Amino acid sequence: MSQDANTLSRRRFLGNAALFGTAIATGVGSWVIPAGWANAAAGPIKVGVGTDLTGPMGYAGNADANVARMVIKDINDAGGLLGRPLELYIEDTASNESVAVGNVRKLIQREKVDLVIGGITSSMRNAIKDVIVSRGKTLYIYPQLYEGKECTPYLFCTGPTPAQQCDEFIPWLIKNGGKKFALPSANYVWPHTLNVYARKVIEANGGEVVFEEYYPLDQIDFSSTVNRIISNKVDVVFNTVIPPGVGPFFKQLSEAGFLKNGGRLACVYYDENTLSINQPAEIEGLASCLDYFKALTPEDPFSAKLQAAYEKQFPGNFLFAAGSAATGTYRGLKLWEAAVKEAGSVDRDAVAKALDHAKIAEGPGGPAEMVPGQRHCKMKMYTAVAKGGKYEVVARSAGLVDPKEC
Amino acid sequence: MAVFEIASFGAIVVLVVLGLGIIASMMGIFNFAQGEFVLLGAYVTYIVHTAGLPVWLGMLAAPFVVGALGFVLERLIVRRFYAAPIVAMLGTYALGLIIREIVRGLIGGLYLSVPEPVGGSVAIGGMHFSTWRLVIIVITALVMAGSYLLLARTAFGLRIRASLENPALARASGISTNAIYGATFAFGAALAGLAGALIVPVFTLFADLGIRFLIQGFVAVMVGGIGSFAGPVAGAGLIGTLSAALPWVISPVIADVAVFVLAIIFIKFRPQGLVAGKGV
Repeated sequence: MSQDANTLSRRRFLGNAALFGTAIATGVGSWVIPAGWANAAAGPIKVGVGTDLTGPMGYAGNADANVARMVIKDINDAGGLLGRPLELYIEDTASNESVAVGNVRKLIQREKVDLVIGGITSSMRNAIKDVIVSRGKTLYIYPQLYEGKECTPYLFCTGPTPAQQCDEFIPWLIKNGGKKFALPSANYVWPHTLNVYARKVIEANGGEVVFEEYYPLDQIDFSSTVNRIISNKVDVVFNTVIPPGVGPFFKQLSEAGFLKNGGRLACVYYDENTLSINQPAEIEGLASCLDYFKALTPEDPFSAKLQAAYEKQFPGNFLFAAGSAATGTYRGLKLWEAAVKEAGSVDRDAVAKALDHAKIAEGPGGPAEMVPGQRHCKMKMYTAVAKGGKYEVVARSAGLVDPKEC
Repeated sequence: MAVFEIASFGAIVVLVVLGLGIIASMMGIFNFAQGEFVLLGAYVTYIVHTAGLPVWLGMLAAPFVVGALGFVLERLIVRRFYAAPIVAMLGTYALGLIIREIVRGLIGGLYLSVPEPVGGSVAIGGMHFSTWRLVIIVITALVMAGSYLLLARTAFGLRIRASLENPALARASGISTNAIYGATFAFGAALAGLAGALIVPVFTLFADLGIRFLIQGFVAVMVGGIGSFAGPVAGAGLIGTLSAALPWVISPVIADVAVFVLAIIFIKFRPQGLVAGKGV
């Protein structure tokens, strides 16, 4: 090994320092999509997206960013908002809370955006909400399905809550599965909080919870769990184990004969993305309850149009799916658009006041409206069952389902 | 039932740790990219599967592809680190990070299923045993025996051990230690590739498949003892069995931690590991 190869020359040090400095100053991983006609008098309205473009949540974050690109483009093509064009700022939260706080701060302090939409996991929301809402004095829309109980002022949630995912779904499961439930869960906030609500609904409908157990987030062997489920003769596995564990778990369950014996799998975050985790036979009959499924497109022309437009603009791996917050992102941006129109300005208080009761007549899966005073969103909910690797919608809520939050 | 499930997870961990243990014991390098070699083996299998070819073909190809890549990486990068083991850890970690993020980009961060060549389960007396896990147990036993014979009984194995024990003397005796190191590293990588190919039907393909096993692998090597072939294998069997068995008796969240606590206590009282000394 030669000695001088390791000595850092001054030239090399300066070169590296300059490169590093430039990288920090320009911010690697930020995208700006300027409006095409930025000559309006008041200047563009700035929309910030802070989502996980890289890291484990990247498959969802990229879809959300794509949806934002699509919606902003549509609004601009239709003449903008209040006669002003929209400008989209996308920052990567990198599935990492400490990176996220810095990048979201950039949106607030440097770009001075009028709205931030994004965040997928609850831990991410909790990490960035303070930066946006209290210190940043900016409006924040959180688009993902989650455990509820987020009642921060100026923070609006446009994804489904436990009430929306359980109230109609669990009675259906009891009718189409059985009364004995198992709640295998990943050990973090969403499963813990959701299970409290789910257990209440199960017991209120005459079912019983045979066992509830929590696992480390990276556990991928579930032999003891599967054994307990089989030996307790469980009818319905209401699963909140997340990837990477969920694939091996469902596989082991099916290999142990759970499905063959007539057992029913249920998982409320399962959408088109997660279908590919297992082979179709291993999750045959799995039931999910979400605000949108691609299977709705034949019966809902607006959803069909949206789905087709998305797939045309963004072909590839990042699907327009409910479980990755893509539908919540669409709903959030359109509700915000309606609120800005009503308020006639982008002033935070005025928009928040209008957003409190904003409505959209069309969206993925149907119309949506904010429940006044709750900062959560009423929407239609659908129950779908996986058959041969595809969903089939088997139940639809009669109207808009109440989020029952705050 | 329980015994089969625990044994099958034990076998999986042994399979994953085998390559890691050989590189650590025979070369004195802690290869932090080993998990990503496992991932690459899984990815090769997935590629072959999506190309419409049979899955077993991918499993056959995986060790060769990953072994070849290991050989190239050893030539280009890893051999520069032999003098500094700590730097080697960081260097291989960086290597692993690069491979992991590339694969994450290629698969779009998704979790993808790969079917097993022999699927389904065997029912014995009302209990169902996964056929593929049975196959993994058998292959693990074969690979273990094969690797042992290679290291203990062949001239090539003798050269590997000679290069480990006294590189200067080995070189003086006409053994090209450079070539031996390259081959050993490639062999360890190939074993990881094979492990990845075999476990991907069980655990699905995702970018973090490798690191899931990396920490467990290192604990296994520590518990087993560095320097021999048998040590890491014994350690892997112990750690794998323990982490599959504990959730049967105590809460899984506690079991996860308990495995490591037990391992630390064990190393405290027996720092040389289960199998002390060098050799096979």
